[in-house]
Amino acid sequence: MPITLLLLLPALALVGGVFLWPLLRYGWLSLQASSVLTGLVPVPNGGANWQRLLADARFWQDAAQTLRFAGLSLALELLLGLAFALLLHRPLPRRGLVRALVLLPWALPTTVMALGWRWILNDPFGPLNGVLRSAGLPAYGFLSEPATTWVFTVLADVWKTTPFVALLLLAGLQAIPAELEEALRLEGAGPWQRLRRLTLPLLAPYLLLAALFRLAQALGVFDLIQVLTGGGPASSTESLALYAYLNAMRFLDFGYAATVMLGMFALLLALSALVLLVQGLRQRLQQARGLS
Amino acid sequence: MPAGSQLSRIGFGGRRLRALTAFLCTLALLACCGAGLAGLGSARPVEVSVLMPAPFADATAPLVAAFNREHRDLQIAVTRGPLDTEALSDLAISSLLLGDTPYDLLLMDVTWTPKYAAAGWLEPLEPLLGDHAMEGMAPGAQLGNAFGGHLWRLPLLADMGLIYWRTDLMAAAPRNLQELQATAADLQRRGVVPWGYVWQGRQYEGLSCVFLEVLRDFGGDWLRPGDSREAELDSPQAVAAAGWLAELVRSGVTPAAVANVSESESLQIFGAGEAAFMRNWPYAWAELQKPGSAVAGRVGVVSLGDGTQGSWGFSMLRGSDHPQQAAAVMRWFTGEPTSRELALRYGYTPVWQSLLDDATLQAQLPLLPVLRQALERTALRPLTPLYAQLSDVVQRQLSALITGADSAQTAMAEAQRQSELILRAAAPAA
Repeated sequence: MPITLLLLLPALALVGGVFLWPLLRYGWLSLQASSVLTGLVPVPNGGANWQRLLADARFWQDAAQTLRFAGLSLALELLLGLAFALLLHRPLPRRGLVRALVLLPWALPTTVMALGWRWILNDPFGPLNGVLRSAGLPAYGFLSEPATTWVFTVLADVWKTTPFVALLLLAGLQAIPAELEEALRLEGAGPWQRLRRLTLPLLAPYLLLAALFRLAQALGVFDLIQVLTGGGPASSTESLALYAYLNAMRFLDFGYAATVMLGMFALLLALSALVLLVQGLRQRLQQARGLS
Repeated sequence: MPAGSQLSRIGFGGRRLRALTAFLCTLALLACCGAGLAGLGSARPVEVSVLMPAPFADATAPLVAAFNREHRDLQIAVTRGPLDTEALSDLAISSLLLGDTPYDLLLMDVTWTPKYAAAGWLEPLEPLLGDHAMEGMAPGAQLGNAFGGHLWRLPLLADMGLIYWRTDLMAAAPRNLQELQATAADLQRRGVVPWGYVWQGRQYEGLSCVFLEVLRDFGGDWLRPGDSREAELDSPQAVAAAGWLAELVRSGVTPAAVANVSESESLQIFGAGEAAFMRNWPYAWAELQKPGSAVAGRVGVVSLGDGTQGSWGFSMLRGSDHPQQAAAVMRWFTGEPTSRELALRYGYTPVWQSLLDDATLQAQLPLLPVLRQALERTALRPLTPLYAQLSDVVQRQLSALITGADSAQTAMAEAQRQSELILRAAAPAA
């Protein structure tokens, strides 16, 4: 027993140093006033930061906007990622080249691709407006309409990260034995039935993994938004990470920035727990159905 | 004495050895005294390290190289920082938060000074540069360098908002904003140009700069003059100013796309000949004369009222190992000879009145008379450590105003309410 503990120690120390210690420090900082007003000296302020967070309309607005962004991009990425993975799993001519091409957007640094999208969506000079104009339509302010701009931030995110989901799901597809598919086919199951009855259930752990990864990343979205819209127009695309960054690096209010970060962390934790819970319930339901 | 006997065996007698030792000691003593007399740096030169955005680092590189050749005991090491203002601020702040920053001097945007000073990151300059370091600067360039009774910054170049107009579309520059609006609308109505007036409407610092100029033109102030703890954003003048900007967008004089337009996008629109007027900084002039510009040779520049001050300047970071030498480097960078060179080579706007008045420079730089006039009075963004928060409030409300259906009254009332909250939180500490 002591030997196993001893052997675990390096890993525990790493996790503690990289995750636990910063988290504890954030927790401590969120209970201090530490800003330009205190000369950056931490002064305990009795939970005032947390009171402010709960009453901060901007935090909740940003939380809703971040969830909206994460929800739509997650749904689209899983759907498209699955489609790409199924396509790439089939024997294609020049499959290696096609797979590399599909992965290309994932390899681009986010800031670079965000600048690219800012140009593509530019009004009136962007190529997308060029397409609209040649179709006889008026130019559209893709990045200047508060009601719709967030959809285009999702579009850029989907373009960039679908390959990641596709790659994960492709690995999952390749782990499914070909004989099972063959057997189903011989029994007369059509492609749709094979997908529903065989592929999707066996792919579920991979889908869950991809969803959790992407959820964590999408809820922390920062650089894409910062470059594409700067949080505008009318703050309609501001994310929680952007708000935390503003508080820390622009306003030099480190106490409140830590509070916003922890609020965001709690939100992420709750969501991940929810995803796992739903998944667990579904499995139990399926088992119960299988038994009856 | 085994060593001595060995030495004597290869030809060093005892007396010779003693003489040699004495000689070496004398030499060492002399060397020490020499170093002491020559000051700290004769053996190893003092290196003053400077962080600035890459374009400034590139522009000053030949002058810095010449300085380093001439000065054996004092060397300047320039670090090329990111191009983007905010990215440079992030880099500097990260290094400052870690403590013991590797930089002696930092080239700063005008709005950072109070924030950095309040954070305790800057060294007050008057003990090093004396009380008259700003004497001889144009009035508009002096603003924003001192805060809380100390001098924190010396400007490298001046910068301010200007109005660009098309000389081929109108006989003369507008004399005020109302004339600009009328001319722009008229040109659009006659189908001469697609858009009337482009400015920076993206939700970022540029929008605050645009607003401040209009606000001053309407006779309003951001904070109550003489009291940095009271906002005046719901004054009739401020509401009228915000309403004017919204009206430009609603009437179509300014394209609705302005809501995501920063300096570069406005330059693109105006440079393509798609607009009659543009608000921008002096750098745009050279860009518009470059080959590929559709409007080269057809652009005039005018200063209508107080342009927002946007200069870059040097500050000394606290904890510098050699403040005296860093101050000397600062003086050299910002002094008249260097300013003259930078104006001639790169069109950097000098801050010194003598250079702005200089006939030779005026002959070389066609924009100089306009800049000289603009520097008689500039609009300074609120000089408070809380400026970033205050500006953020204004950006949010104005962005909502120009893209939404709210009235200027509502937007500015909300801006006032939020600004008061921020300023009130600071009151006990102030």
